[in-house]
Amino acid sequence: MSITPKKCAIRVDPPTLVLTYTDEVTGKDRQRSMPLRNFTKRSGVDRFVRELKANPRHKKYLENVSAIQLEKLLSIIKERLSGLSMEESLEKVKKELSVDPDEDLNQLDDQALQKKKSIMDETFEKNRKKPGEEGFQYDVDVDFGGGIESSGWDSGEESDPQF
Amino acid sequence: MAASTSDAVLPETDGKTNENTVKIICLGDSAVGKSKLVERFLMDGYKPQQLSTYALTLFRYNTKVGGQEVTVDFWDTAGQERFSSMHPSYYHQAHACIMVFDVTRKVTYKNLPQWYKELRSYRPEIPCLLAANKIDVDYNITHKNFNFAKKYNLPFYFVSAADGANVVKLFREAIKSAAAYKANPTDFMDEVMQELENFDDLKLSPDGSLDLVNNSEDKESEKETSPASTPEGAPESS
Repeated sequence: MSITPKKCAIRVDPPTLVLTYTDEVTGKDRQRSMPLRNFTKRSGVDRFVRELKANPRHKKYLENVSAIQLEKLLSIIKERLSGLSMEESLEKVKKELSVDPDEDLNQLDDQALQKKKSIMDETFEKNRKKPGEEGFQYDVDVDFGGGIESSGWDSGEESDPQF
Repeated sequence: MAASTSDAVLPETDGKTNENTVKIICLGDSAVGKSKLVERFLMDGYKPQQLSTYALTLFRYNTKVGGQEVTVDFWDTAGQERFSSMHPSYYHQAHACIMVFDVTRKVTYKNLPQWYKELRSYRPEIPCLLAANKIDVDYNITHKNFNFAKKYNLPFYFVSAADGANVVKLFREAIKSAAAYKANPTDFMDEVMQELENFDDLKLSPDGSLDLVNNSEDKESEKETSPASTPEGAPESS
Protein backbone atom coordinates (compact mmCIF):
# COMPACT_ATOMS: atom_id res chain seq x y z
CA MET A 1 0.00 0.00 0.00
CA SER A 2 1.67 3.21 -1.14
CA ILE A 3 -0.92 5.71 0.12
CA THR A 4 -1.47 6.56 3.76
CA PRO A 5 -4.38 8.94 4.33
CA LYS A 6 -3.62 11.71 6.85
CA LYS A 7 -6.73 13.85 6.90
CA CYS A 8 -9.78 14.76 4.95
CA ALA A 9 -11.26 18.16 4.28
CA ILE A 10 -14.08 19.64 2.26
CA ARG A 11 -14.72 22.68 0.10
CA VAL A 12 -18.33 23.74 -0.16
CA ASP A 13 -18.10 25.77 -3.36
CA PRO A 14 -17.63 24.02 -5.62
CA PRO A 15 -18.32 20.80 -3.65
CA THR A 16 -14.96 19.10 -3.29
CA LEU A 17 -13.37 16.45 -1.13
CA VAL A 18 -9.73 17.11 -0.24
CA LEU A 19 -7.44 14.39 1.01
CA THR A 20 -4.03 14.90 2.55
CA TYR A 21 -1.97 11.73 2.37
CA THR A 22 1.57 10.45 2.55
CA ASP A 23 2.98 8.91 -0.58
CA GLU A 24 4.88 6.00 0.95
CA VAL A 25 7.12 5.66 -2.09
CA THR A 26 8.56 9.14 -1.87
CA GLY A 27 7.72 9.79 1.77
CA LYS A 28 6.17 13.11 0.84
CA ASP A 29 2.87 14.53 2.01
CA ARG A 30 0.57 15.44 -0.81
CA GLN A 31 -2.91 16.76 -1.33
CA ARG A 32 -5.57 15.53 -3.69
CA SER A 33 -8.75 17.37 -4.61
CA MET A 34 -11.69 15.33 -5.76
CA PRO A 35 -14.48 17.46 -7.22
CA LEU A 36 -17.98 16.23 -6.48
CA ARG A 37 -19.62 16.96 -9.77
CA ASN A 38 -23.36 17.57 -9.75
CA PHE A 39 -23.48 17.35 -5.98
CA THR A 40 -26.44 19.38 -4.74
CA LYS A 41 -28.41 19.79 -1.54
CA ARG A 42 -30.72 17.09 -2.83
CA SER A 43 -28.05 14.55 -3.72
CA GLY A 44 -27.96 11.14 -2.11
CA VAL A 45 -24.88 11.09 0.10
CA ASP A 46 -24.71 7.29 0.21
CA ARG A 47 -24.60 7.10 -3.56
CA PHE A 48 -21.85 9.69 -3.85
CA VAL A 49 -19.74 7.91 -1.27
CA ARG A 50 -20.17 4.62 -3.11
CA GLU A 51 -19.23 6.25 -6.39
CA LEU A 52 -16.17 7.96 -4.94
CA LYS A 53 -14.92 4.69 -3.48
CA ALA A 54 -15.50 2.93 -6.79
CA ASN A 55 -14.10 5.70 -8.98
CA PRO A 56 -11.07 4.30 -10.81
CA ARG A 57 -9.09 7.52 -10.36
CA HIS A 58 -9.84 8.04 -6.65
CA LYS A 59 -10.22 4.46 -5.50
CA LYS A 60 -6.69 3.83 -4.28
CA TYR A 61 -6.63 7.08 -2.31
CA LEU A 62 -9.91 6.43 -0.55
CA GLU A 63 -9.48 2.73 0.13
CA ASN A 64 -8.45 3.33 3.72
CA VAL A 65 -10.83 6.16 4.44
CA SER A 66 -13.97 4.87 6.10
CA ALA A 67 -17.30 5.25 4.37
CA ILE A 68 -18.78 6.78 7.48
CA GLN A 69 -16.19 9.55 7.51
CA LEU A 70 -16.85 10.36 3.87
CA GLU A 71 -20.55 10.29 4.54
CA LYS A 72 -20.11 12.74 7.38
CA LEU A 73 -18.07 15.18 5.26
CA LEU A 74 -20.44 15.04 2.32
CA SER A 75 -23.42 15.49 4.61
CA ILE A 76 -21.83 18.67 5.94
CA ILE A 77 -21.47 20.02 2.41
CA LYS A 78 -25.09 19.16 1.83
CA GLU A 79 -26.27 21.05 4.91
CA ARG A 80 -24.12 24.03 3.95
CA LEU A 81 -25.66 24.01 0.48
CA SER A 82 -29.09 24.02 2.12
CA GLY A 83 -28.14 27.24 3.86
CA LEU A 84 -27.09 26.12 7.35
CA SER A 85 -24.01 27.69 8.95
CA MET A 86 -20.89 25.60 9.44
CA GLU A 87 -21.65 25.23 13.13
CA GLU A 88 -25.24 24.22 12.58
CA SER A 89 -24.25 21.76 9.88
CA LEU A 90 -21.66 20.14 12.11
CA GLU A 91 -24.08 19.74 14.95
CA LYS A 92 -26.82 18.33 12.79
CA VAL A 93 -24.60 15.82 11.03
CA LYS A 94 -22.93 14.75 14.24
CA LYS A 95 -26.31 13.96 15.70
CA GLU A 96 -27.41 12.06 12.63
CA LEU A 97 -24.29 9.95 12.57
CA SER A 98 -24.19 8.93 16.18
CA VAL A 99 -26.19 6.40 18.10
CA ASP A 100 -28.41 7.70 20.86
CA PRO A 101 -28.03 5.27 23.78
CA ASP A 102 -31.69 5.70 24.59
CA GLU A 103 -33.04 5.19 21.12
CA ASP A 104 -34.89 1.93 20.66
CA LEU A 105 -33.40 0.56 17.45
CA ASN A 106 -36.04 -2.16 17.32
CA GLN A 107 -38.36 0.50 15.95
CA LEU A 108 -36.23 1.45 12.93
CA ASP A 109 -36.76 0.30 9.38
CA ASP A 110 -34.10 -1.78 7.67
CA GLN A 111 -32.24 1.10 6.08
CA ALA A 112 -32.10 3.26 9.19
CA LEU A 113 -31.04 0.26 11.27
CA GLN A 114 -28.28 -0.60 8.79
CA LYS A 115 -26.97 2.95 9.10
CA LYS A 116 -26.82 2.75 12.88
CA LYS A 117 -25.14 -0.63 12.62
CA SER A 118 -22.49 0.73 10.29
CA ILE A 119 -21.77 3.56 12.73
CA MET A 120 -21.27 1.04 15.52
CA ASP A 121 -19.25 -1.18 13.21
CA GLU A 122 -16.62 1.57 13.09
CA THR A 123 -15.83 0.96 16.75
CA PHE A 124 -16.15 -2.77 16.33
CA GLU A 125 -13.58 -2.86 13.53
CA LYS A 126 -11.26 -0.52 15.44
CA ASN A 127 -11.25 -2.73 18.53
CA ARG A 128 -11.39 -5.99 16.66
CA LYS A 129 -8.68 -8.58 17.11
CA LYS A 130 -8.52 -10.83 14.08
CA PRO A 131 -7.10 -14.31 13.71
CA GLY A 132 -3.56 -14.09 12.36
CA GLU A 133 -2.90 -10.78 14.07
CA GLU A 134 -0.36 -10.57 16.81
CA GLY A 135 -1.87 -11.24 20.20
CA PHE A 136 -4.92 -12.97 18.82
CA GLN A 137 -6.29 -15.70 21.04
CA TYR A 138 -9.38 -17.78 20.33
CA ASP A 139 -10.38 -18.24 23.92
CA VAL A 140 -9.97 -15.01 25.86
CA ASP A 141 -10.98 -15.74 29.42
CA VAL A 142 -11.13 -12.66 31.63
CA ASP A 143 -12.35 -12.64 35.20
CA PHE A 144 -13.72 -9.20 36.03
CA GLY A 145 -14.42 -10.18 39.58
CA GLY A 146 -17.91 -8.74 39.61
CA GLY A 147 -18.93 -5.11 39.58
CA ILE A 148 -18.86 -3.00 42.73
CA GLU A 149 -20.30 0.29 41.55
CA SER A 150 -23.92 0.65 40.60
CA SER A 151 -24.50 0.92 36.87
CA GLY A 152 -27.36 3.32 37.51
CA TRP A 153 -29.33 1.37 34.95
CA ASP A 154 -31.48 -0.41 37.49
CA SER A 155 -33.36 2.61 38.76
CA GLY A 156 -36.99 2.97 37.80
CA GLU A 157 -37.94 -0.58 38.70
CA GLU A 158 -41.46 0.08 37.44
CA SER A 159 -40.21 -0.81 33.98
CA ASP A 160 -39.27 -4.23 35.27
CA PRO A 161 -42.54 -5.96 36.00
CA GLN A 162 -42.59 -8.98 38.23
CA PHE A 163 -43.82 -12.15 36.68
CA MET B 1 -49.42 -31.45 19.11
CA ALA B 2 -47.12 -28.57 19.87
CA ALA B 3 -44.52 -29.86 17.46
CA SER B 4 -46.43 -28.68 14.43
CA THR B 5 -45.21 -25.06 14.42
CA SER B 6 -41.53 -25.89 14.52
CA ASP B 7 -41.60 -28.66 12.02
CA ALA B 8 -42.19 -26.13 9.29
CA VAL B 9 -39.18 -24.08 10.36
CA LEU B 10 -36.57 -26.64 11.19
CA PRO B 11 -34.59 -27.63 8.13
CA GLU B 12 -34.31 -31.36 7.51
CA THR B 13 -31.65 -32.87 9.67
CA ASP B 14 -29.76 -35.02 7.19
CA GLY B 15 -31.48 -38.16 8.42
CA LYS B 16 -29.61 -38.19 11.73
CA THR B 17 -31.55 -38.53 14.93
CA ASN B 18 -32.17 -35.53 17.08
CA GLU B 19 -30.96 -37.40 20.07
CA ASN B 20 -27.76 -35.44 20.54
CA THR B 21 -28.90 -32.16 19.07
CA VAL B 22 -29.44 -29.16 21.29
CA LYS B 23 -31.00 -25.87 20.31
CA ILE B 24 -29.67 -22.62 21.70
CA ILE B 25 -31.47 -19.38 20.95
CA CYS B 26 -30.11 -15.83 21.03
CA LEU B 27 -32.33 -13.07 22.35
CA GLY B 28 -32.04 -9.32 22.73
CA ASP B 29 -32.54 -6.00 20.97
CA SER B 30 -31.49 -5.09 17.44
CA ALA B 31 -27.78 -4.38 17.05
CA VAL B 32 -26.63 -5.61 20.45
CA GLY B 33 -24.20 -7.93 18.65
CA LYS B 34 -25.93 -11.30 18.78
CA SER B 35 -24.73 -12.42 15.35
CA LYS B 36 -21.26 -11.06 15.93
CA LEU B 37 -20.97 -13.07 19.12
CA VAL B 38 -22.00 -16.30 17.40
CA GLU B 39 -19.61 -15.53 14.55
CA ARG B 40 -16.78 -14.82 16.97
CA PHE B 41 -17.37 -18.16 18.67
CA LEU B 42 -17.54 -20.12 15.41
CA MET B 43 -14.84 -17.95 13.74
CA ASP B 44 -14.51 -16.88 10.14
CA GLY B 45 -15.30 -19.12 7.26
CA TYR B 46 -18.38 -20.55 8.89
CA LYS B 47 -21.35 -20.38 6.56
CA PRO B 48 -24.64 -20.13 8.38
CA GLN B 49 -27.90 -21.23 6.91
CA GLN B 50 -30.00 -18.16 6.24
CA LEU B 51 -33.70 -18.80 6.40
CA SER B 52 -34.90 -15.39 5.36
CA THR B 53 -38.48 -16.51 5.02
CA TYR B 54 -38.48 -17.04 8.74
CA ALA B 55 -36.20 -14.11 9.59
CA LEU B 56 -33.70 -16.30 11.30
CA THR B 57 -30.17 -17.54 10.81
CA LEU B 58 -29.17 -21.04 11.80
CA PHE B 59 -25.64 -21.98 12.76
CA ARG B 60 -24.94 -25.67 13.18
CA TYR B 61 -21.92 -26.66 15.19
CA ASN B 62 -20.53 -30.03 16.25
CA THR B 63 -18.71 -30.46 19.50
CA LYS B 64 -18.30 -32.75 22.48
CA VAL B 65 -19.72 -32.42 25.95
CA GLY B 66 -18.27 -34.77 28.53
CA GLY B 67 -16.93 -37.03 25.78
CA GLN B 68 -20.32 -37.14 24.04
CA GLU B 69 -20.80 -35.90 20.48
CA VAL B 70 -23.29 -33.06 20.47
CA THR B 71 -24.75 -31.12 17.57
CA VAL B 72 -25.61 -27.56 18.50
CA ASP B 73 -28.06 -25.45 16.54
CA PHE B 74 -27.63 -21.76 17.31
CA TRP B 75 -30.69 -19.76 16.36
CA ASP B 76 -30.15 -16.11 15.60
CA THR B 77 -32.91 -13.63 14.91
CA ALA B 78 -32.04 -11.91 11.59
CA GLY B 79 -34.23 -8.94 12.29
CA GLN B 80 -37.29 -10.44 13.95
CA GLU B 81 -36.66 -8.07 16.87
CA ARG B 82 -38.46 -5.57 14.69
CA PHE B 83 -41.68 -6.87 16.14
CA SER B 84 -40.31 -6.69 19.70
CA SER B 85 -41.33 -10.31 19.93
CA MET B 86 -40.33 -13.58 18.35
CA HIS B 87 -42.41 -16.18 16.58
CA PRO B 88 -43.33 -19.00 18.97
CA SER B 89 -41.42 -21.49 16.84
CA TYR B 90 -38.25 -19.61 17.71
CA TYR B 91 -38.63 -20.74 21.31
CA HIS B 92 -40.02 -24.16 20.56
CA GLN B 93 -37.90 -26.93 22.02
CA ALA B 94 -34.99 -24.62 22.81
CA HIS B 95 -32.64 -26.04 25.42
CA ALA B 96 -30.85 -22.86 26.43
CA CYS B 97 -30.95 -19.14 25.75
CA ILE B 98 -28.21 -16.56 25.44
CA MET B 99 -29.66 -13.15 26.19
CA VAL B 100 -27.60 -10.16 25.12
CA PHE B 101 -27.58 -6.44 25.83
CA ASP B 102 -25.25 -3.66 24.69
CA VAL B 103 -23.38 -1.87 27.49
CA THR B 104 -23.18 1.29 25.40
CA ARG B 105 -26.96 1.52 25.04
CA LYS B 106 -29.06 1.60 28.16
CA VAL B 107 -32.28 0.99 26.26
CA THR B 108 -31.11 -2.52 25.38
CA TYR B 109 -30.80 -3.27 29.10
CA LYS B 110 -34.16 -1.71 29.82
CA ASN B 111 -35.74 -4.02 27.26
CA LEU B 112 -34.39 -7.18 28.89
CA PRO B 113 -37.46 -7.78 31.07
CA GLN B 114 -39.62 -7.87 27.98
CA TRP B 115 -37.42 -10.48 26.30
CA TYR B 116 -37.09 -12.46 29.47
CA LYS B 117 -40.82 -12.45 30.05
CA GLU B 118 -41.48 -13.74 26.55
CA LEU B 119 -38.80 -16.41 26.92
CA ARG B 120 -40.32 -17.64 30.18
CA SER B 121 -43.83 -17.71 28.75
CA TYR B 122 -42.64 -20.32 26.25
CA ARG B 123 -39.75 -21.89 28.10
CA PRO B 124 -40.24 -21.54 31.84
CA GLU B 125 -37.33 -23.74 32.82
CA ILE B 126 -34.48 -23.66 30.31
CA PRO B 127 -31.09 -22.26 31.34
CA CYS B 128 -30.68 -18.62 30.34
CA LEU B 129 -27.32 -16.85 30.30
CA LEU B 130 -26.95 -13.09 30.22
CA ALA B 131 -24.18 -11.42 28.22
CA ALA B 132 -23.18 -7.74 28.49
CA ASN B 133 -21.58 -7.10 25.10
CA LYS B 134 -19.28 -4.37 23.71
CA ILE B 135 -17.19 -3.95 26.85
CA ASP B 136 -14.27 -3.11 24.51
CA VAL B 137 -15.79 0.34 23.99
CA ASP B 138 -15.03 1.20 27.61
CA TYR B 139 -13.64 -1.43 29.93
CA ASN B 140 -14.67 0.63 32.98
CA ILE B 141 -18.14 -0.78 32.54
CA THR B 142 -16.88 -4.04 34.02
CA HIS B 143 -16.68 -2.34 37.42
CA LYS B 144 -20.41 -1.79 37.37
CA ASN B 145 -23.05 -4.18 38.45
CA PHE B 146 -26.30 -4.97 36.71
CA ASN B 147 -29.06 -6.28 38.91
CA PHE B 148 -31.07 -8.04 36.26
CA ALA B 149 -28.86 -11.10 36.31
CA LYS B 150 -28.93 -11.29 40.08
CA LYS B 151 -32.65 -10.78 40.26
CA TYR B 152 -33.40 -13.77 38.06
CA ASN B 153 -30.36 -15.73 39.07
CA LEU B 154 -28.82 -15.83 35.59
CA PRO B 155 -25.16 -16.59 34.93
CA PHE B 156 -23.67 -13.26 33.82
CA TYR B 157 -20.77 -12.54 31.46
CA PHE B 158 -19.01 -9.37 30.38
CA VAL B 159 -18.12 -10.07 26.74
CA SER B 160 -16.72 -8.45 23.62
CA ALA B 161 -17.32 -9.84 20.16
CA ALA B 162 -14.61 -7.46 18.94
CA ASP B 163 -11.66 -8.51 21.11
CA GLY B 164 -13.12 -11.88 22.04
CA ALA B 165 -13.27 -11.44 25.80
CA ASN B 166 -15.23 -14.29 27.42
CA VAL B 167 -17.05 -15.20 24.20
CA VAL B 168 -15.81 -18.77 24.10
CA LYS B 169 -16.48 -19.18 27.82
CA LEU B 170 -20.06 -17.94 27.36
CA PHE B 171 -20.83 -20.31 24.50
CA ARG B 172 -19.21 -23.36 26.08
CA GLU B 173 -21.19 -22.72 29.21
CA ALA B 174 -24.38 -22.35 27.17
CA ILE B 175 -23.74 -25.62 25.34
CA LYS B 176 -23.04 -27.41 28.60
CA SER B 177 -26.23 -26.09 30.19
CA ALA B 178 -28.27 -26.95 27.11
CA ALA B 179 -26.98 -30.53 27.05
CA ALA B 180 -27.57 -30.90 30.78
CA TYR B 181 -31.08 -29.55 30.43
CA LYS B 182 -31.87 -31.85 27.57
CA ALA B 183 -30.66 -34.84 29.53
CA ASN B 184 -32.83 -33.88 32.47
CA PRO B 185 -35.72 -31.63 31.44
CA THR B 186 -37.86 -30.15 34.16
CA ASP B 187 -40.59 -28.76 31.99
CA PHE B 188 -43.78 -30.73 31.45
CA MET B 189 -43.72 -30.39 27.66
CA ASP B 190 -40.09 -31.49 27.54
CA GLU B 191 -40.89 -34.56 29.52
CA VAL B 192 -43.58 -35.38 27.01
CA MET B 193 -41.12 -34.84 24.18
CA GLN B 194 -38.61 -37.03 25.96
CA GLU B 195 -41.25 -39.73 26.24
CA LEU B 196 -42.00 -39.44 22.55
CA GLU B 197 -38.32 -39.72 21.77
CA ASN B 198 -38.23 -42.89 23.82
CA PHE B 199 -40.92 -44.21 21.55
CA ASP B 200 -38.34 -44.22 18.80
CA ASP B 201 -37.17 -47.35 20.54
CA LEU B 202 -40.55 -48.88 20.04
CA LYS B 203 -41.85 -49.81 16.70
CA LEU B 204 -45.30 -50.58 15.55
CA SER B 205 -45.65 -54.02 14.12
CA PRO B 206 -47.72 -54.40 10.96
CA ASP B 207 -50.82 -55.51 12.81
CA GLY B 208 -50.76 -52.30 14.80
CA SER B 209 -49.59 -53.70 18.12
CA LEU B 210 -46.48 -52.37 19.78
CA ASP B 211 -43.33 -54.39 19.86
CA LEU B 212 -40.45 -53.52 22.10
CA VAL B 213 -37.07 -53.26 20.51
CA ASN B 214 -33.99 -53.76 22.67
CA ASN B 215 -35.56 -51.82 25.44
CA SER B 216 -37.90 -53.77 27.57
CA GLU B 217 -36.90 -53.03 31.15
CA ASP B 218 -40.16 -52.26 32.81
CA LYS B 219 -42.40 -53.80 30.23
CA GLU B 220 -40.97 -57.28 30.28
CA SER B 221 -43.53 -58.57 32.72
CA GLU B 222 -46.22 -57.96 30.17
CA LYS B 223 -46.55 -60.94 27.95
CA GLU B 224 -48.45 -61.19 24.73
CA THR B 225 -49.37 -57.52 24.47
CA SER B 226 -52.81 -57.17 23.07
CA PRO B 227 -53.39 -54.39 20.53
CA ALA B 228 -55.48 -52.59 23.10
CA SER B 229 -52.72 -52.30 25.64
CA THR B 230 -50.91 -49.40 24.04
CA PRO B 231 -49.07 -47.44 26.73
CA GLU B 232 -50.43 -44.07 27.65
CA GLY B 233 -49.36 -41.14 25.55
CA ALA B 234 -48.56 -43.18 22.47
CA PRO B 235 -48.67 -41.20 19.28
CA GLU B 236 -51.67 -41.91 17.10
CA SER B 237 -49.47 -42.99 14.26
CA SER B 238 -45.75 -43.38 13.76
